Amino acid sequence: MDLSNTDTTKTKTKAPQQITIDGQSLSFTPGETIMQVAERAGISKRIAHFCYHPSLSIAGTCRMCAVEVEKVAKLMTSCSTPATNGMVVYTNSEKVKASRNGVMEFLLANHPLDCPVCDQAGECSLQEYNYEYGPSTSRFGDSEEKRVFENATTLKLSPLITLNMNRCIHCERCVRFCAEITETHELLMVNRGHHKELTLADPSKGLTSDYQGCLADVCPVGALTFNDFRFKKRVWFLKQHPSICDGCSRGCNIEVHSEDDIVYRYTPRFNQEINKHWMCDEGRLSYHRGHDKNRIVAPYFEGHECEWHTLLADFTKSLKSSKSALVVFTTDATSEEVATLTSLLPQLHKGGPINFRYISSTPDENPNENQDENQDQLLRRKDKTPNRQGVASKLSPISEADFQSFNDLVIIFKGSTSKLPRLAFSSSKHLYLWGVFLLEDLENIRASNPNIRGVLPGVHTLEKSGSYTNCDGITQTFTAAIRPPKLCVPVERILSKILTTVTAEGEAK
Amino acid sequence: MSTGNIKTTNVSRPYTWKERLYLLTIPKGFLVTLRYFIRGFFLRKSNTISYPEERRNYSERFRGMHFISLDENKLENCTACYLCQTVCPAKCITITAEERDPKENPVGVAKEKRPKAFDIDALRCCFCGMCEEACPKDAIKMSRNYELAVHTREMAMYDLKHLSREVKNRG
Ligand code: SF4
Ligand code: SF4
Ligand code: SF4
Ligand code: SF4
Ligand code: FES
Repeated sequence: MDLSNTDTTKTKTKAPQQITIDGQSLSFTPGETIMQVAERAGISKRIAHFCYHPSLSIAGTCRMCAVEVEKVAKLMTSCSTPATNGMVVYTNSEKVKASRNGVMEFLLANHPLDCPVCDQAGECSLQEYNYEYGPSTSRFGDSEEKRVFENATTLKLSPLITLNMNRCIHCERCVRFCAEITETHELLMVNRGHHKELTLADPSKGLTSDYQGCLADVCPVGALTFNDFRFKKRVWFLKQHPSICDGCSRGCNIEVHSEDDIVYRYTPRFNQEINKHWMCDEGRLSYHRGHDKNRIVAPYFEGHECEWHTLLADFTKSLKSSKSALVVFTTDATSEEVATLTSLLPQLHKGGPINFRYISSTPDENPNENQDENQDQLLRRKDKTPNRQGVASKLSPISEADFQSFNDLVIIFKGSTSKLPRLAFSSSKHLYLWGVFLLEDLENIRASNPNIRGVLPGVHTLEKSGSYTNCDGITQTFTAAIRPPKLCVPVERILSKILTTVTAEGEAK
Repeated sequence: MSTGNIKTTNVSRPYTWKERLYLLTIPKGFLVTLRYFIRGFFLRKSNTISYPEERRNYSERFRGMHFISLDENKLENCTACYLCQTVCPAKCITITAEERDPKENPVGVAKEKRPKAFDIDALRCCFCGMCEEACPKDAIKMSRNYELAVHTREMAMYDLKHLSREVKNRG
C-alpha cells in the first residue's frame, strides 16, 4: 500500500471518500462494498455475479464478481471487498474476463444441457454470462460423465416449488433467503465440494413458508422453479408491465407478465419502502382471479345478458326516478373511481342527495371485525383489499342497520377481484351491481335479495389505471397492464355515455 | 380520341415475302412433331416422367412437409422449447407445452416437458426451414414429401398426430 495515500486519509477525515470504477469517480460511505457502490451508481450490470443479492447478506460463494483492483496482486470479489479511499477498480479487463471464463467453465462442467426444458431459459444468469464470457466448448468430456443427483432431479419441495439439483450452482441465495427473510430455515446445504447438495431441513414437511415464490426469483438458474408457471410460457414471449398487487392492503409493487392480454405470472418489483424484492405466494397467485371463468363479462339486465344501451337506459331511469339512493363501495375500488362517482352520480339523481358509503371486505367469518394488521413479520396483511385507507378517507362505513333503512335504489360498486363481503339487504327494489362480479357472487346476493336488476360489468386492477393507498398511507398509482374483455368498461366511459345521453335528451326537450 | 401533340413511331417492320408465304412453315412444324414422335415412340427417350407411377428423386436438402421425429420409445423428440415458434418468420407454428406423465417417461428430465399441442399452418408456411435449423432436439424436420395438396383449408393445419413420424434420416 502507498503510505502517503494512507496518511492523507487520516489527516483529512472529512474529505469525501472516492473510488474509481472503470474511470468513473464515485463517492461512498465507509463500509460499502465495491458491488454496493456500483449498484448505487447503476453500473452493477457490468459486474457479473450469481450469489450477491442486494436484500440478502453477502456470502461470496460464487467468485463470479471478481474485479481487478489497482495495486492488488490478485482479483478481488467485488461483493465482499469493502471500498477504500482512492481504490481504482476495473470491471472488464482481460484478467477479469479470463477469470469469468474460468468460473463459467467450472460451473458448466457439471451443468446439464437442459435449456430447452428449463423454465429459466431466457432469464437465466448462467445462460447470459456464458454467452458473454463463457467458453463455447467444454474440455470435460461428454454429458454421460456429468454429476447427477438421482433423487433430486425433479423433486417437488412443496406444491409450489420444484427443485432440479443438477442445475444448481451452489450460490446459496435460497438458503440465505430462508434464514434471513422468512426466518424459517427450511433449506440447507449438506456435503462438500462435488457432492454439495441442497436439502430440506425437514423433508417430511417440505417447504411451508408463505413466500416460496421468492425462492424461484432469487435462484439465478433454473434449479428452483415455481410450479404455477412451470412449462406455461417461455419468458421471452412475455410483456412486462409495472403494477400494484391488489391481494392485500400492503400494495406490493409487482411486474405483470402477460401475452395477448393473458396474465401468466406476477413477479415482485423492487420498492425499498414497501416490499423490497419480495411478495407473498397468495398475492403471486392472485392473478388467476382476474381470469376466472365465472366472471360476469357482459351487461346483465333482469336475469339475462343484454345490450349496454338497454341496461344504461334502465339504469338512468332508475337513478332519475328513485327517491333515495345508496351507493356502497368495496375497499378494492380505486380512489379515482370513488371520486368520479361521488362527484358525477348526484347530477343524475333527482330525488335528493345520494348516500355514499363503503363496506370493507374481510375474508374472515366475522365481517364486522374490520381489523387490518400484519399477518406475519414480513408483508402479508389481514385486510385482503388494496385500498381501504383511500376509500375510508373519503367515505364512512356502512352497518347492517344502515342497509335496512334503504329500500329504493341500491348500487354496489366492486372495484376488483377480491372476495365479496357479506351484504345485508332489506327489500331494496332496484339493486344494481357495478364492477367485477362472479356468478357465485350473484347467487350469494340473491340469497338475501332476489331483486338484482342489473349488472354493469367493470374492470379490475390490471385492466384500469388508478391509485391505491396502502396500509402505511403510501399512495401508489398504476396503469392498465392488459385490455379488459370486450364488454367490460371502466367507470368513466359508462358515466360519459350516460351524461351525453341525458344532455342530448335535455336539449331535445 | 385525339392524341394531341404526342409523336408516335411505327416500330413494326413489314413481313418479308418468305414469311408471308406461311405454307412453308407448316411442314417445318410437322417435322418437329415427327422428330419427337420417333424419339418417344420408337427410341423410347422421353423428357417427362409418368407421375404418379414414377417420382423424381429430389435432393437430400429438399424442404417439403414437416415432421416431428419420434425416438425409440415412440415419444416425440420435441420438448416444447418454443424455439421453432420463436424463429418462424411466417408465425405459423403454435405450441402448447405440458408436463409429461412421469409414468410414461423412461428418460427423465430431458423429456419431462412435451408439446400438448403442436400446430403448423402449412398455408402460411414459406418452407424456409428455419424451424429445423433452430431445433435443439432435432425434433422438427422437413421431409422430402412434396405432395401437399389438400381438399380443405383445415386439412392444411398439421397437428401433432399428423406430424409425428418414426423416420430415420430425412424421410
Ligand atoms: S439453468 Fe439456465 S443454463 Fe441451466 S438449463 Fe436452465 S436455462 Fe439452461
Ligand atoms: S437452488 Fe438456486 S438459489 Fe439455491 S443454491 Fe442452487 S442455484 Fe443458488
Ligand atoms: S419452414 Fe419456415 S415458415 Fe415454415 S414452419 Fe418452419 S420456420 Fe415457419
Ligand atoms: S420442434 Fe424442436 S424447436 Fe420446436 S419446440 Fe420442439 S424441440 Fe423446440
Ligand atoms: S457475487 Fe461475489 S462471490 Fe458471488
